[in-house]
Amino acid sequence: MTDKPNIQDVAFPTSPCSQVGKLQLQLNCNSDCLHVLRSIVTVMCARAHISKLRSNRVAVAIDELFANIAEHAYGGKPGKVEFESHIDDSGEASQLIFDFRDYAALNWAGCMQEVATQPIDHENLTPGGLGLKLICSVADACEHHILADGNHWRLIFKLSTGDHHES
Amino acid sequence: MKAKLIFEREDQDHESTVLRVKGDVTIHTSPSLREQLKPLFSSQQKRIHILLNDVDFMDSSGIATLVEGLQWARQSGGRFVLSGLSDNVRDIFELSKLDTIFDIENSTA
Repeated sequence: MTDKPNIQDVAFPTSPCSQVGKLQLQLNCNSDCLHVLRSIVTVMCARAHISKLRSNRVAVAIDELFANIAEHAYGGKPGKVEFESHIDDSGEASQLIFDFRDYAALNWAGCMQEVATQPIDHENLTPGGLGLKLICSVADACEHHILADGNHWRLIFKLSTGDHHES
Repeated sequence: MKAKLIFEREDQDHESTVLRVKGDVTIHTSPSLREQLKPLFSSQQKRIHILLNDVDFMDSSGIATLVEGLQWARQSGGRFVLSGLSDNVRDIFELSKLDTIFDIENSTA
């Protein structure tokens, strides 16, 4: 993973990025991207009227997923990640959705829900494996799809009436 | 801008050290926390106290680094104490179900 800031790391696609409730960007995995992601999460959570504590949970989940892609899918080397966030009002309940698309050659074959439900062995604690547990415990739904040329990850946060429509 | 942690270390005596951490503890900054902790683990410390008053964000890499302190405490018989957890950080410990495993003091010292 490179620490060198690169203006090309953040590129807004041709889609209407001014569209309310939707943000897209393309990243190269490096430490500066976490700041960009954190800012976007803050904006989206504010738009969704999510509480401060839950916003932090969302930020942690996004941070963890991006770190997993950077560290495990790309092995710590720079790699392209497309990121999109939008508020979906089409269903009965509004949802805040975050999509990650990577182009890593390495596909993760695990199951997020299985990882999440594995109990923590308090007698033999190990430093690893907490990230996915946190993601799954925070998000209302975690989806992972293996693609021909990478992976698609989606985290869904349901918005209660109080979350999204409070003034 | 490269994120980094700031540390203030106070050796209260030969057996007790207080380490104040300032900044966000993430996958990019937790290695520096580990660097600060490592020499303490290999010394004759009996109590390591981590002050987290100035940490508003911590991810699993930060918790994993602190788990190493927990392991040190179990192996050495020492105390690895955390205090000053913000609501955000305490929430992440609770989500990880590690809040009851760590020695967490409510005082902010």
